Amino acid sequence: MAAASAFAITPHKVSVCVLLQMYALPTQATPPFSSVSQHNRLGLYILSLTKSYDDILEPKLEDLISQLREIGGSLGPWLIDHLTSRVSSLSSPDDLFTFFSEMRGILGGSDSVVIEDNQVILDPNSILGMFLRRCVLAFNVLSFEGVCHLLTNIGIYCKEVLSNCMPYELHRLDGSSNDLESLSECENMDLENFVFGKVNEEIEERKEATERVSFHLHATQAICGLVEDVEVVTDPRSKHHDKGTEDCPHVHRPGTESQDVDPYGEVFLRTNWQVQGYLTEQADAIEKHGGSVSFNTFELILRQIKKLAPELHRVHYLHYLNSLYHDDYFAAVENLHCYFDYSAGIEGFDFVPPSGSNNSARYEIALLCLGMMHFYFGHPKQALLVLTEAVRISQVQSNDSCLAYTLAAICNLSSEIGSSITAGILGTSYSPVTSMGSSVSVAQQLFVLLKESLKRAESLKLKRLVASNHLAMAKFDLMHVQRPLLSFGPKASMRLKTCPVNVCKELRLCSHLISEFASETSTVATDGAFSTAWLKNLTKPMGSLVLTQENESGENFHALQFCAQSSSIPRSVLQILGSSYLLRASAWETYGSAPLARINALVYATCFTDSSSSSDTALVHAKLIQHLAAFQGYKEAFSALKVAEERFLSVSRSVLLVLKLQLLHERALHRAHLKLAQQVCDELGVLASSVMGVDMELKREASLRHARTLLAAKQFSEAAAVAHSLFCMCYKFNMQVENATILLLLAEIHKKSGNAVLGLPYALASLSFCQSFNLDLLKASATLTLAELWLSLGSNHAKRALTLIHGALPMILGHGGLELRARARIAESKCYLSDPSYSVFEDSEVVLDPLRQASDELQVLEYHELAAEGFYLMAIIFDKLGKLEEREEAAASFKKHVMALENPQDEDPLLNLL
Amino acid sequence: MLTVAQERQRYWQQSSWLESSKTLRSSLLQTPDSSGEAQAFAEDSTNDVTSTPPAGVSYVSTPVMEEDEVVDGDFYLLAKSYFDCREYRRAAHVLQDQTGKKATFLRCYALYLAGEKRKEEEMIELEGPLGKSDAVNREVASLERELSILRKNGIIDPFGLYLYGLVLIEKGNQNLARTVLMESVNSYPWNWSAWSELQSLCTTIEILNSLTLSNHWMKEFFLASAYQELRMHNESLTKYEHLQNTFSFSNYIRAQIAKAQYCLREFEQVEVIFEELLRNDPYRVEDVDMYSNVLYAKECFSALSYLAHRVFMTDKYRPESCCIIGNYYSLKGQHEKSVLYFRRALKLNKNYLSAWTLMGHEYVEMKNTPAAIDAYRRAVDINPRDYRAWYGLGQAYEMMGMPFYALHYFKKSVFLQSNDSRLWIAMAQCYETDQLHMLEEAIKCYRRAASCNDREAIALHQLAKLHAELGRSEEAALYYKKDLERMEAEEREGPNMVEALLFLAQHCREQKRFEEAEVYCTRLLDYTGPEKETAKSMLRGMRTAESSFPLMDIEHFHP
Repeated sequence: MAAASAFAITPHKVSVCVLLQMYALPTQATPPFSSVSQHNRLGLYILSLTKSYDDILEPKLEDLISQLREIGGSLGPWLIDHLTSRVSSLSSPDDLFTFFSEMRGILGGSDSVVIEDNQVILDPNSILGMFLRRCVLAFNVLSFEGVCHLLTNIGIYCKEVLSNCMPYELHRLDGSSNDLESLSECENMDLENFVFGKVNEEIEERKEATERVSFHLHATQAICGLVEDVEVVTDPRSKHHDKGTEDCPHVHRPGTESQDVDPYGEVFLRTNWQVQGYLTEQADAIEKHGGSVSFNTFELILRQIKKLAPELHRVHYLHYLNSLYHDDYFAAVENLHCYFDYSAGIEGFDFVPPSGSNNSARYEIALLCLGMMHFYFGHPKQALLVLTEAVRISQVQSNDSCLAYTLAAICNLSSEIGSSITAGILGTSYSPVTSMGSSVSVAQQLFVLLKESLKRAESLKLKRLVASNHLAMAKFDLMHVQRPLLSFGPKASMRLKTCPVNVCKELRLCSHLISEFASETSTVATDGAFSTAWLKNLTKPMGSLVLTQENESGENFHALQFCAQSSSIPRSVLQILGSSYLLRASAWETYGSAPLARINALVYATCFTDSSSSSDTALVHAKLIQHLAAFQGYKEAFSALKVAEERFLSVSRSVLLVLKLQLLHERALHRAHLKLAQQVCDELGVLASSVMGVDMELKREASLRHARTLLAAKQFSEAAAVAHSLFCMCYKFNMQVENATILLLLAEIHKKSGNAVLGLPYALASLSFCQSFNLDLLKASATLTLAELWLSLGSNHAKRALTLIHGALPMILGHGGLELRARARIAESKCYLSDPSYSVFEDSEVVLDPLRQASDELQVLEYHELAAEGFYLMAIIFDKLGKLEEREEAAASFKKHVMALENPQDEDPLLNLL
Repeated sequence: MLTVAQERQRYWQQSSWLESSKTLRSSLLQTPDSSGEAQAFAEDSTNDVTSTPPAGVSYVSTPVMEEDEVVDGDFYLLAKSYFDCREYRRAAHVLQDQTGKKATFLRCYALYLAGEKRKEEEMIELEGPLGKSDAVNREVASLERELSILRKNGIIDPFGLYLYGLVLIEKGNQNLARTVLMESVNSYPWNWSAWSELQSLCTTIEILNSLTLSNHWMKEFFLASAYQELRMHNESLTKYEHLQNTFSFSNYIRAQIAKAQYCLREFEQVEVIFEELLRNDPYRVEDVDMYSNVLYAKECFSALSYLAHRVFMTDKYRPESCCIIGNYYSLKGQHEKSVLYFRRALKLNKNYLSAWTLMGHEYVEMKNTPAAIDAYRRAVDINPRDYRAWYGLGQAYEMMGMPFYALHYFKKSVFLQSNDSRLWIAMAQCYETDQLHMLEEAIKCYRRAASCNDREAIALHQLAKLHAELGRSEEAALYYKKDLERMEAEEREGPNMVEALLFLAQHCREQKRFEEAEVYCTRLLDYTGPEKETAKSMLRGMRTAESSFPLMDIEHFHP
């Protein structure tokens, strides 16, 4: 029985055997195969069927018939007819015995069989032969009860095709006695003696049946509403199913399988191994697609599996994942505890068994999972408590790999939330690894933890963990200065700086992962998941690929693509690699190289979207769209955003939502829609402090934008106050890198308010911040602000300002966005114009050329204020030069922009687009 | 009759119940059966049909079942005989063309039981590597259709309704099942099987209160039993005691009272009741496992061994018997053997709740925590309201040094049984551990424990200690005083007493309430140990201070 459980014989396998028989003994059939290619096609189809026997639920006869119809071409109806009649003729245990002994005859090697003319002899060692032998063996070891069950199952298997309207009829509780009689007749129909009519007739019948079904469906809906307490199970399922397929057609939808579940609860479950594989695959799918996987559909399937295999505890884990990604806290906690209570952290969790062969309970994994769950739900305190416990237990149990993972999780936790909780949540609680006092900052603790975790992972040779630790390290290096600020302002002695070299080094180290994986023999137990990949490949291209075969029947080898393995690199490795590219993109963004940031984002978007989670993909799209907005204007950006929003319909709305608000705000500021800007700004603020906890990044962003809105409204003191408090906040939470931007904003505020002298120190401070943190683009923009400040101090500073601008120009023109470039050009020409030694009549193009370019760019951005300034300057120059026509043109443009600036409430086509 | 209804196993319940309900019916309609059980009940019921309880409630009169189907008497009797021989399909076949209500019921019920029998067999046959799969009763679908039509056409008797209810429950249609069962019990109240199915559908008090039941005395039995299941033990006890006035010789009621008392942890009373019960009904097996639990808790070795021997001789293959033997071995400290017997009990009935929990306890004793956790979890999955199993889970995790993880389980158990001080104390101890050190939370838990009748008086002492640790001497003094009063009332002595006295003495001295302090110090003098010396020196210090410098600060002289 134990042997049989690994490869149980099911009605579906019997059908495959029948097909095999047809393939091998074509002479039995009246219409033989018209061509060799047709014969071969059937062979390939059977091959793929035998390969794909490993999905969790087997296809029903109906599915098989429809596949046959596609694949068989002209021969299809005959094949179907033969198959159904053969399968349904199995009416007693003895028939089955004869059937399987016939099957043995197909195999070559046995002398007793008389070989007929065009019989294909199956090599017993070929794939088909092996399959057949396994089936025969599985049948032979069956007990008599097993044979009886097989027979009953075959009966049900066939009956469904005949009476596929059955499940719906069952709902008709008010059915009159007439209906009932016909129904029971249908049920008691003597299937064994039922001879199928002509195929055409059958098809017509089926058509009728389906029509009837759809009618009944409507009818029952109404009836179900009347009859109390009838649970309409089918409706929500189908609804979800439809929605699901729209979302992402690539996943092996769980929903498609719920159709296989027939009302009698007759599901032919496969072996443990296969179910495990299926569950692993589904777990991946859930993790990848997050909330877009329909909750109820999957829950239904899980319940079904649970019913069929009560001792398979991994189902609870899937329940947990499902509720986790649908933000159901209580169900998640319940299921997590349930899973680990039953499995003790052993069953199916760790793919790579630890070095020691201790098979004892590993509850520390439970703690690790619970900690991550709390982290996900935004309970950092609980998460930290649990993870601390996990550290302790894994030390006690000397489970080093779990310890390494736990440390990495703690690092992740403190890097995400560390800054938002005032100094030292690690300090107040029992400190896990080192007995660091609470005096050290969170950043330092994190640094020590990261180092520790990296060391541990390296010594344990946990490659993926090493790689992700390198990533975390790079992230840390990117955002944290080497030494925390002790007093206000940068001093030379403080040596305050970030290390791009380190970031780069860590990123490179992370990328080594892939070469290591290529050389390593894969210890990952992917077989279970791999076997399900067969069916996925089969179902996916079946429609299209088969059709192409019809056209060019010579190219049968296409079918072999069914069998091609998708990828040899594990998904998790790809995921880590992908995030390294993501990090590269954001690193370059910070350091100010637009092209490199863009390239990395593009690499990610093209190579890693299949393997990464949809929230990461959405993030990359957001980055690209931001880039688009800065370099090509809002129109392009908004249309791209619309596409992205459709693609990531329900997933990670927050990323795209934030992006949308950012873009809207920028644009509103440019177009001087101050009311709208303020509104958008408030919305951002709301997003920043959601129920899940305060997102510091977003909060900073929101108040920065608030200050900028105030600045645009010319409320200088309020703007300055907001910026000041923001600066204090960033200082408090050690977000020095962010402070460079805030200082620049302060300088800008003072510049606009006319206190250039006050603005100078801020601009200089920002400049030196940028220098020490290697923020090149920001530095260029700070230099520009500095130049503008000098210029506003009087015309005798124009030369100095001009040198500054010329120094920054290469960076600005190479990497800056439209706005920055235009600003630099206008500032440049203003410098020339206010320089007393410069005369317009000598070399007017020096001023006119940058002005023209600037006004072009500003028109794309619809930045009315600056554009008006540009046109004003142009008009004056033309006036000086006496070019009246051009002067009038420039003046008209100036007027247009000023008008737009003054009454901003006119129609906005882009807003309608959203 | 009512005792039979207490059978836990579904299959057993159905098969034996049909028989008893049929015997009941025949006893009402034809001649009374002469089996012991039926006779015991017959006494009760004859007493009763004529004289309903005297309370001021107006009870409905007993419905009379009209005799029908004289025509198909022969077929019916043949089928009944087959049925009694457990040849269900044969019985159903005989009745194929009969249309009488009685015959229809017997046929459907026979089919239902045939389906159940097949289901049980299939469960064994289909057992795969992933455990037993849930086989389904294949007759349910067709039965549901037939019975629903019968009900619609109004040709269904109360027994048919009961069967319809069973089928609906199997189908998961609980609301309709409740309505149908309600109809059944209202038109024929003596079918206890219908009542107990109805009870299984009343998972909350709201549902129970929403039922519209006619005032028959069977309703009282039902309510008492339902209250018990909903953990409203006091209400249930009152009901049963009220019923006992009428049915003064009923063993069933006595056993139920014992059960309620057991849940209220009145072990002495339970023991008395069971002693009497076993005198009247010496071959009783059901509910006796509860008695064995009491004997276990009281550590009565010989009584437990005697009980185990007796049930073993009566029927060794009853889950209860195995459980009692398991308890006996557990008390003897032979945990492996004990687990063996609990396992046997579970093999006989895999949904036997207390065996899972008790087995968990045994595994905890054997330091096999994963197995214990597994056992407890199964208990919890069978009945999520079993606070003992939740508590056991918490304990197991705490033993492994995972206090935070354990808290989840303690919270669950406390939620279900919020007036049990032991649970609160366990949770408080969890918070108190070195790893968590969440003293504020611990104090809250201890406070709850102290407020719900903490027998061992751990809570007060711990509260005092924790407050002292946190430097809140006022609160600490308050709790020490309370603890002291309690110890005085219960005449207990021990280190806690000394600790309390010492703290209070020091506290009073600091507060300059010297007289009080002196009282405590003198009381301390009765004890031996270092505290006595401390008390002496304190007394001396206070006296000198009082006599020479009554107004000056005492601290001055006590560096």
